Amino acid sequence: MLMVAASQQPLPCPVQYHHLQGAKRVVEIVERYDAECVPDAYKSNKVAYIKNGSISKNCTKLLKVDKLMKAPIYIYYQLDNYYQNHRRYVKSRSDKQLLDGLQNNDTSSCKPEESNGGLPVVPCGLVAWSLFNDSYIFTRGAVPLKVNRKNIAWKSDRDHKFGKRVYPFNFQNGSLIGGGKLDPHIPLSDQEDLIVWMRTAALPSFRKLYGRIEEDLHPSDLITVNLTNNYNTYSFGGAKKLVLSTSSWLGGKNDFLGVFYIFVGSSCIFISLVFLLLHLKDSRPCGDATFSYWNRKNVSL
Amino acid sequence: MIIFHGDQVELARVMKEEVKKDLKNCLEEAQQYFRTVSGPKLTLVIDGKCLMYALDPSLRVMLLNLSLNCTSVVCCRVSPLQKAQVTSLVKKGARKITLSIGDGANDVSMIQAAHVGVGISGLEGMQAVMASDFAIAQFRFLSDLLLVHGRWSYLRICKVVTYFFYKNLTFTLTQFWFTFQTGFSGQRFYDDWFQSLYNVMFTSLPVIIYGLLEKDVSASLSKKYPQLYMEGIRNSFFRWRVVAAWAFSAIYQSLIFYHFVTTSSLTGQNSSGRTFGLWDVSTVAFTCVVVTVNLRLLMMCNSITRWHYVSVGGSILAWFVFVFVYSLIRENILYVIYVVMSTFYFYLAFLLVPTVALLLDFIRQGVQRWFFPYDYQIVQEIHRHEPDDNTRAGALEISNHLTADEARSFAISQLPRETSRHTGFAFDSPGYESFFASQQGVYAPQKAWDVVRRASMRSKLKAPPLPPKK
Repeated sequence: MLMVAASQQPLPCPVQYHHLQGAKRVVEIVERYDAECVPDAYKSNKVAYIKNGSISKNCTKLLKVDKLMKAPIYIYYQLDNYYQNHRRYVKSRSDKQLLDGLQNNDTSSCKPEESNGGLPVVPCGLVAWSLFNDSYIFTRGAVPLKVNRKNIAWKSDRDHKFGKRVYPFNFQNGSLIGGGKLDPHIPLSDQEDLIVWMRTAALPSFRKLYGRIEEDLHPSDLITVNLTNNYNTYSFGGAKKLVLSTSSWLGGKNDFLGVFYIFVGSSCIFISLVFLLLHLKDSRPCGDATFSYWNRKNVSL
Repeated sequence: MIIFHGDQVELARVMKEEVKKDLKNCLEEAQQYFRTVSGPKLTLVIDGKCLMYALDPSLRVMLLNLSLNCTSVVCCRVSPLQKAQVTSLVKKGARKITLSIGDGANDVSMIQAAHVGVGISGLEGMQAVMASDFAIAQFRFLSDLLLVHGRWSYLRICKVVTYFFYKNLTFTLTQFWFTFQTGFSGQRFYDDWFQSLYNVMFTSLPVIIYGLLEKDVSASLSKKYPQLYMEGIRNSFFRWRVVAAWAFSAIYQSLIFYHFVTTSSLTGQNSSGRTFGLWDVSTVAFTCVVVTVNLRLLMMCNSITRWHYVSVGGSILAWFVFVFVYSLIRENILYVIYVVMSTFYFYLAFLLVPTVALLLDFIRQGVQRWFFPYDYQIVQEIHRHEPDDNTRAGALEISNHLTADEARSFAISQLPRETSRHTGFAFDSPGYESFFASQQGVYAPQKAWDVVRRASMRSKLKAPPLPPKK
């Protein structure tokens, strides 16, 4: 028992170390902008503001860089209280149509976002209809930072899930606008924003990749973000955040696994010490029949 | 005994009074002995004639009282009906589990009256075997039946049932925690085919192998320590305490699976910065569940054979093979496993999550085995240096070596001989008696119990014994 508990924790030890090392080098900047980007006149009625197409949705925010961030720096948008994992939402899509386009007639799972004005919608369903459409432009001082918006979706999605000959058709033409529009001349396999958005998230608070900055950011750099606050999260009390993060071999800033490895390793050490003390203090001799039920209870047979 | 001819009813009444007096005396005498702590062991001997009166409803309770207080009871010259009556008396009156064993047609009613009926097949014919729950070839195999196979069977059933509930509880609770974060909309955490095949393909074979092959101690040790049988009598492996411990373990493990996997998947997952979706996260969680419950089975085994390794490894391998093929076909989880396995996160989670999940069970087993050992665990420790006999195919030790005497009698029994027309009766057979009586020209009256027997088996008799010529 002692031996096995003791052998448990050498395993996590080197892993823990590299884990935390990997996690510590990741630098992250998170900035919530949906509350501040509403002009003062509309602060009491944000929904009216967001739905009104004539009001300018441009907003400027300032980000201060504290630590050196090495390229590539990933830009995410984070949505909170947004249930992309709701059953009706997850159901409301047609993966066959994403591959086959208009030839596919089986889009009943997309109802009611299946057709508009008698014509079918490609891509159909709530998931596509609610496409995120805020955009961000970054400048450092006077120099604009180039944002690479290619290759942000998983390669298997681009190659196998979204058709190369499928084009958006009759998309977002209804009276109720749910999100962004799509360029009808670009095939779905190249519409990376859509592809990233359609990989429905697991939790109500999630991040999705927007693009990459391929330059280093130095400490005390001031980044100006010109964003367009188009997406309506005000109707349901959601929040929008902009995240800039570097990445390591393990991914983004997430100490959870590293911390837990350390926790488990040290608990194993602690428990093996406890067992050692108990063993020295009060051990039951191995194979002693006096501890069996029939001897302890003086049961006659 | 007073014998007189005349009124049968009066005779019966007088006999009953005598028997009652006798029983009362015996009971009082026995009570005296029981009051002393280290009194002698008592045996009750009663014959069929007396039993006929003692089983009367008014005397039955006294008889039962007396016999339960004795160490053993010998009933001789009893009819088949009385055998059944005695068995029912103990079964209903004492509320204990009864086992009866017999080899002939006269034992059939007794075998059927008891909870467990064991028939011995052999010279007396197959009637007892056909009526019984278990059939054995020789009387001495009864000890194997009870102490070895009965005990193992109890252990296996308890463990299989509790393990089955545990693995399904773990699997289902992991989904249950998800519902809190889907707005209670009922979105499934796992893909449908994962769920359907969980119990069929990924976790079924190991538990079957366990139920067939598990042994806590070897057969010879089971017979050497008959006290181990008491674990079954005390129901040590299926108490509420045991079930609650498994349930707690399932809750703990499901929390680990769900929270570990979802909490660590918020940000980008590899150096390309891309994030996971719902199906990626659930595939990682499902992999951890399958691996953990299979390893938990190995932790539970007392004797491991190569079939255990084959089935556990095979189930985990079956999961991977299935998901590799399935994620090429099914639209919504297309290529999910390939995406997931291209990140380091998956391998680290795969290593950490089952370890943490099993840690609690591991500690609990260690504490239990050290401070609160079961009897079989103590026996295992006593004999820890002896080699396992797991590699031997047979569980029973039937020695095939006969002594010279046994060999001779066996050879004699193999000689061709007449089989008796009268099966199931020893020297008291009415046919036997009437045959010899008729040979010597003597009249032998018919026995009361024989009349009763023939009346109840009227249709089944091949040829009733001829009444002797007067």
